[in-house]
Amino acid sequence: MRDLSTMVWKEIAEFIGNKRALRVFGIAVLIMGIIPTITARHTAIGAAAAIRALVEVLYVLFATLIVVANTAPDLVLHERVGRTLDYLLATRLPDSAIFLGKVIVSAATGYLAAMVAIALQLLVYAALVGHGWSWLYLAEPIGRILAFGITAALAVYVSVVGTFVALHVGDQRSAYLVTVLSIGVILAPLLLGWVQIQSTTSWFADAAMIFGAIAILLAAIGVLLFKREMLMLNLQE
Amino acid sequence: MEMSAISCRGLSRRFGQRTALSDLTLEVPAGSVFGFLGPNGSGKTTTVRLLLGILRPTSGEVRVFGLDPIVDGERVRSQCSVVLDQVGLYERLTARQNLEFAARTARFPMSELGGRIDAALRRVELFDRRDDRVSGFSKGMRQKLGVARALLTEPRLLVLDEPTAGLDPENIVMLRELLLSLAQEGGRTIFLCTHLLDEAQKICTQVGILQQGHLLAVGEPGEIAGSRGPSVRMRVMRLTPEMTLDLPAGARMQRLEGDAWRCTLAREDDVEAVVAALVRAGVGVREVTPEGLSLEEAYLQVIGGERHA
Repeated sequence: MRDLSTMVWKEIAEFIGNKRALRVFGIAVLIMGIIPTITARHTAIGAAAAIRALVEVLYVLFATLIVVANTAPDLVLHERVGRTLDYLLATRLPDSAIFLGKVIVSAATGYLAAMVAIALQLLVYAALVGHGWSWLYLAEPIGRILAFGITAALAVYVSVVGTFVALHVGDQRSAYLVTVLSIGVILAPLLLGWVQIQSTTSWFADAAMIFGAIAILLAAIGVLLFKREMLMLNLQE
Repeated sequence: MEMSAISCRGLSRRFGQRTALSDLTLEVPAGSVFGFLGPNGSGKTTTVRLLLGILRPTSGEVRVFGLDPIVDGERVRSQCSVVLDQVGLYERLTARQNLEFAARTARFPMSELGGRIDAALRRVELFDRRDDRVSGFSKGMRQKLGVARALLTEPRLLVLDEPTAGLDPENIVMLRELLLSLAQEGGRTIFLCTHLLDEAQKICTQVGILQQGHLLAVGEPGEIAGSRGPSVRMRVMRLTPEMTLDLPAGARMQRLEGDAWRCTLAREDDVEAVVAALVRAGVGVREVTPEGLSLEEAYLQVIGGERHA
């Protein structure tokens, strides 16, 4: 645990010192925190609660996706660009701490972005309408599952995928695009009609748990598969 | 029996069709200062990565303090520190944070971190810049901070891979003095990959010369210089590199500058035969001075000899 906390400490310190990552975080939070409140004023009446929640909470999920898809590859690629890779791999930190440190910090920043975006939505809506705390999706169980549960699973999933993509893709933009496109894998059963969305609380609760389990399983597989020489071999060849 | 700090047997590493290191057999005694010399691309960095378990060997074996870096990577790396030519400092972190990360990886008690870090920063005269981000540091400051970071963890094996690369003369002198003081402190093994042969001769107890992945020579600097045979420096007239000379076996003429030449001999007694051969060829010999080879000259002969072989 001490090695993992060391790695997490280093990654957080680097994130705070990364102006570009902070800019992406700020822009994602601001856009996803303000736009839903404006659109909600026009669409709130008459729509089914579940569908309405689904649409509006997408902004929160977008905030997570944008931030994690940027942060996860950056945490790997900046080690190469900054030539710190050899040093990091020469430390006595175990492989699992190196991998999990990067995954945890990128997932946490994405989840934090979602929570800040939600808080901003509430504040803006309260300022505009005056009763933000009972606003829209947070008043519905499905909305809360999406906002807190699916967002957490999404953050972990994108973080694991983004970290592994960065091990094989050399530049930030490509890694970002591939990571974002990996969402299609999760959405494929829905898009292909294999799974039908049901507007019930239990369906969304099950979906959040299954998605969360998949994300954690992927992270566990990542810990088992990740070997420090993977970074070096890709660099050499 | 004294344990070797580093022991390699038939160590090889290939990348696809390219052989980066071929059949390296080497013993580095504990407590010694070993200079690993060779041109760029000769396999020095690959060797360092194999020693630290960052790369797996294609064949052969390597032991660091008796441990296999692949099997016992964590234990090996906990006894080693590295300073690389690209120092590998985190630019988004401050000088202090860089050292704190190193200290945390070494699992020092949290109560000791502050004191150790401050002492390390003072040693390399960067204490006043401790809260500045490394991105604003010059190359020399980064190299000093890299050395401070490496020493912070009190390693048994200190690996320095081209630590003076890209430094200006002033910083090379500073780093040379730091390396000399480290070597004189004793107690730790230093594995120094370098181009600076003058420094290697001054501080290394043993050197190895690597060329295109092959170890060409290994031994004490004086031994390697001596093994290249005796030599004399000559000042001559009318000698050109194109001329064919009837020199004794093993003798070789090498132009230095102007009318100055070096003649490497197989035996000291061959000087007279060389002078006679030059005179027969119409060359005027003005001066003959016996000389000893420096490590740099021996290195160039070893590398040059291999290139011409």
